[in-house]
Amino acid sequence: MIDKITFKRILKWGFINFFRNGAVSLATVLVMSLSIFMIGLVLVGGSFISVVISNLEEKVDISADFRQIAPEAEILALKRELEVLPEVKSVKYISSEEALSLFKERHKDDEVVLGSLAVLGEDFRLPASLEIKAQDPSKFEAISKFLESGAYDDILEKDASGREKITYRQNQLAIDKLTSLLTTARRLGLALSAILALIALLVAYSTVRLAIYNAKDEISVMQLVGASRAFIRGPFLVEGIIYGIIAPILTLAVFYPAFWFAGKKTEVLFGELNIFGYFISNIFQISFILLFAGVLLGVLSAYIATRRYLKV
Amino acid sequence: MIYFEKVSKIYSPTSIALEDVSFTIKPNEFVSLVGQSGAGKTTLLKLLLAEEYPTSGQIFFESSDIHALLKHELPHVRRRMGVIFQDYRLLPMKTAFENVAFALEAAGRPDEDISSDVAHVLDLVGLSDKIWNFPHELSGGEKQRVAIARAIVTRPDLVIADEPTGNLDPLNTRDIIRLLEKINDLGTTVLLATHDKEIIDSLERRVVTLDKGHVIRDELRGRYVL
Repeated sequence: MIDKITFKRILKWGFINFFRNGAVSLATVLVMSLSIFMIGLVLVGGSFISVVISNLEEKVDISADFRQIAPEAEILALKRELEVLPEVKSVKYISSEEALSLFKERHKDDEVVLGSLAVLGEDFRLPASLEIKAQDPSKFEAISKFLESGAYDDILEKDASGREKITYRQNQLAIDKLTSLLTTARRLGLALSAILALIALLVAYSTVRLAIYNAKDEISVMQLVGASRAFIRGPFLVEGIIYGIIAPILTLAVFYPAFWFAGKKTEVLFGELNIFGYFISNIFQISFILLFAGVLLGVLSAYIATRRYLKV
Repeated sequence: MIYFEKVSKIYSPTSIALEDVSFTIKPNEFVSLVGQSGAGKTTLLKLLLAEEYPTSGQIFFESSDIHALLKHELPHVRRRMGVIFQDYRLLPMKTAFENVAFALEAAGRPDEDISSDVAHVLDLVGLSDKIWNFPHELSGGEKQRVAIARAIVTRPDLVIADEPTGNLDPLNTRDIIRLLEKINDLGTTVLLATHDKEIIDSLERRVVTLDKGHVIRDELRGRYVL
């Protein structure tokens, strides 16, 4: 195949050609950077939004209240039964005492509420409850049905109309709406990402292709002088790798301040989730993916483009 | 050394570039290929370089049928043929030295050989003082001399020159032809395509005349007659 000296020469000419074709190389690197930038934006933005969506979903749960008289052992038995259901992600038991201390914690600044509690005295009890998180919001219906099946009627608290007190039923409309919104957002994001990434790929490929089109006469001369295909193609692949390394570096250099700024501006919107923080904590994966995409794109474009002109 | 056997190149029924061409070139010959534009000279050279494929017939370089070679074998045969074009076809982003060295690098020769051989050949064509110039900094005659240096640096068995003086003034033309003669004297076969009457008449070597795709004359001490 390729011996050591040929490999060294291919590397050497790849670098020399990159620098001698300054203007073309610069233009190619810039367009390539734009493509990688788009891919990066889709990657970071898309996964950040997915984190935000998961976070929102995480906040949605259903809780079932139990009667005061329900024995703890039965509640825990129900908990175990729920935990083996495929739709259920986790179940948390909140005892009457815990519910009270949580309630106090939540209203610790509210004099009126604390005052009322004091008046009610030691005998006041909040119902024990199970907080159930589903695998995803669409599973709430099934879980609610399971609880409403009648088997647990003697322990579940009921409201005035005789229905079990399951929060999902109380907020069903809002949860369903949120669920469909999130699903749509996910699908839309995925489609948009795919389209943007495809455009980026095509633009990068066309640019590298154009740079090599400029050299098509040279390629045919090299062949007539007796250069092997590998020796002719090699330097173009090296150039492609160089584009593919510089473009992600430029992109990351732009991303850093851009996400810092975006993070500041959207702090209010996403609360504790910050896009800059997300970017920083995943910087190694992001750099690796962009670098991989850049080099692959550069090499593959150069390979396909030279193939066309290596026919003589 | 070179055998054309009933070679035809037919692009379409109305466009016949070569028809039933047969002739032989012996080692160390200096053969001029003459004919008007469109007579088939360039097509014949392109077939010899395997840049194009014949419609029928075969071309042998020694014992190998050029058009039956595998893709990876072709470069080896091409390294035994040096090519010179009317439009020089130097690599624009490489210096004179690098252009000449390219042929050797492609052949995988060691660096020490390359630097000594290239310097030697550029000296032979009289360009020792311009080895680090890029093609666009050279005159037409100088470019053609770089091209000749590139063609002969691999010590090929055959040098193919397609109208090498077509873009040059008379003085440069004479220099280039003299170089080709020198190369031939040193033992390399030369195949020169031209339509320059003066060159042919002054050479007094073998002349193969093409007309409308046919060999109409093949004389050992030919003159330019059409």
